[in-house]
Amino acid sequence: MEEVTVIETESDVVNSAAVAEEQIPQKKQRKPINQQKLQDNLWGWAFCVPLIIGTVWFVYIALVMALMLSFTNYTLNRGSMMEYLGNFSQNIVKDPATGAASPFYWYKEAFTYEIGTTYKMNEMGAHLFNTVFYMIGIPIGMVLSMFFAVCMSRDIKGGNIFRVLYYLPCVASTISIVYTFKILFETTGVINQLLNIDLNWLQLTGNEAETWNSLNNTNKEGAFYNDPYWCQGLFQKIVIIVMQVWKGLGGTIILYVAGLSGVNAATKEAAQIDGANGWQIFWKVTMPDLYPVIFYNIVTSVIGGMQIYMEPVLLFKENYMTSGYVSLIWRYGLNGLSASQARGAAYGMILAVIIFVLTMFQFYLDGRKKD
Amino acid sequence: MEETNVNVVTSQTEEKQYSSIRYAWGAICAFFGLSTRTHRASKKRAKLVADIVTYAVLLFGAFIMVYPFWWMVAGSFALTNIRGTGNDILNRMVWWPSISTFNAELNPEGGFRNYAEVFNKAFPRIATGFTFWRALVNNLLYSIVPVFVGVITSASAAFSFAKINWFGRNAVFYFLLAAIMVPGPSIMVSQFVMYDQLGWRTNGLVLVIPGMFGSIMTAFFIRQFLFGLPTSIIEAAKIDGAGYFRIFCGFILPLAMPAIMAQGILSFMGCWNNYMGSFIMIPKGEWINLPHAIQLMEDSGNGAYSGDFGVVIAGSVICIVPVMILFGCFQNLIIGSLMLTGSKE
Repeated sequence: MEEVTVIETESDVVNSAAVAEEQIPQKKQRKPINQQKLQDNLWGWAFCVPLIIGTVWFVYIALVMALMLSFTNYTLNRGSMMEYLGNFSQNIVKDPATGAASPFYWYKEAFTYEIGTTYKMNEMGAHLFNTVFYMIGIPIGMVLSMFFAVCMSRDIKGGNIFRVLYYLPCVASTISIVYTFKILFETTGVINQLLNIDLNWLQLTGNEAETWNSLNNTNKEGAFYNDPYWCQGLFQKIVIIVMQVWKGLGGTIILYVAGLSGVNAATKEAAQIDGANGWQIFWKVTMPDLYPVIFYNIVTSVIGGMQIYMEPVLLFKENYMTSGYVSLIWRYGLNGLSASQARGAAYGMILAVIIFVLTMFQFYLDGRKKD
Repeated sequence: MEETNVNVVTSQTEEKQYSSIRYAWGAICAFFGLSTRTHRASKKRAKLVADIVTYAVLLFGAFIMVYPFWWMVAGSFALTNIRGTGNDILNRMVWWPSISTFNAELNPEGGFRNYAEVFNKAFPRIATGFTFWRALVNNLLYSIVPVFVGVITSASAAFSFAKINWFGRNAVFYFLLAAIMVPGPSIMVSQFVMYDQLGWRTNGLVLVIPGMFGSIMTAFFIRQFLFGLPTSIIEAAKIDGAGYFRIFCGFILPLAMPAIMAQGILSFMGCWNNYMGSFIMIPKGEWINLPHAIQLMEDSGNGAYSGDFGVVIAGSVICIVPVMILFGCFQNLIIGSLMLTGSKE
């Protein structure tokens, strides 16, 4: 009786039939689907395992260990790091003045350690100043590479050849480039002869006692008592900036050429018909389309720029006037047997935080622009 | 009708107001493709002039980009062991390896003295028993093994991320992607301690094993490439009874070969030029790589070639040539891959 009442209209009959049809194959297929899912899960994980292990081991575990190390007083001659960190609570670094445990000792040291006599300056601040100074090269490089990219993306023959030629410095080894620049920028070198000047590009200014170049000497206190910090080693920094721009130009040009080829041609044409000149089209049509590429470029260059290390050290050795921030990590954490790995790790953590904050700040500005 | 007539008249009168100097200036501008009020340049002329200017600018830039390398090659023949002549050559804009350097009287070893020095004498000064060939073999080991294995592991991870549906895929992917936020130098110290206690620093494994686990960026780019491949190929292979391993080896590796090759060559170049890794991780000895050895060669404390810079330049040329050749062979692939990155972002 109930069935009769339920199935009243034709549509109901059709519906129930459809429901029944759906149910039957589902029951039949349930097992194969599970098999497939099992296979997917197994193989999906299996293919990823090497990369996961590598990343976790060499990045995440290393990061956690570096963070823990920075609170301790670890050096290589204290034996196994794992055991040392296992007794983490006992091995927290002690303040030599009070004898009490102070986990942030190395951080305080980093922020308060001062060098110099007349002009006192925080050591970390000096290195950060150098690092940020080198970032002058980023906008210069961006403008130059945009200029060349616009030139290359005109419909001329042989644009591809130029792209390859401009990318050559990116391929070359830094060490070769540094040594080439070292001779090009000699006092009697090619650059000075071309510019018809007699400028000392590579030697740090003043007597050694007057400069901050005291790392290789013993008189650390005798450093820089004549000139304020910021005007020492300017030409040396300019050499580094020139080198950075020259080396990085090709990669940015390729990014921009790719971005320019993706700019909507129809919009450009419409603007042209409306009477816009080339300059207006570039700023009003091309640039907004290129914005994501430019933003990506800025973010990556700032992250890379914060990590500058090799070029200044290879050209000028370690010193306070030209070395970037990373040389602090090397100097305190890795330099020889007397190095304190804990202190180096603390400097590393500060660098990570700085880079993270800078990147987040850029993304914040990016988000505000979109609103 | 009246209005247009008026306009024409006024424009004519305005034109007549220009001085002859202005006319001459306009004509010159028109010749160089610039339109002024007096003369309108033809579009053809404007394009021609713009093309010529573009070529001039690009050629100038290309000269600046390429000349230091040529200077390096030319300068590597400067015999800086003979005071005066060799150093003079390094202080000039050299266009060609100078003929005076091939003077047999001045130099019994011939024009290739610097290269002979690099191949035979320079490297044993760094460490006893160390030779140029050892450095070259080290460099090949550090760049071929980790790149070859690492690219395959990266590609397998990319395949898994792009084409297989598994539980927690996105979470794992973003977990891995977040690792590129960690700057290398800030974990350098703990990695150093880790490798030191694993004993990898003294036998060169430090530059081999970590690379073999693949890199996230490589996996990311190959994944982007794999998204462009149709999933139906994999479905068809599955229906024909192929397992995932078979699909990966038989379909994904050949189909994604352009992306894999491009990423592999880029990371090969990175490993070949990896001075910093060797400098920080490997103690001075027989396991250092070529750029590190050249740096030690230049360092006055160790190799004492800082006054004899031609040898260092020769070493730099040797270091650069393999990557240049590789880049020349695969430039289309590499630049195409880099362009893809630019347009994707």
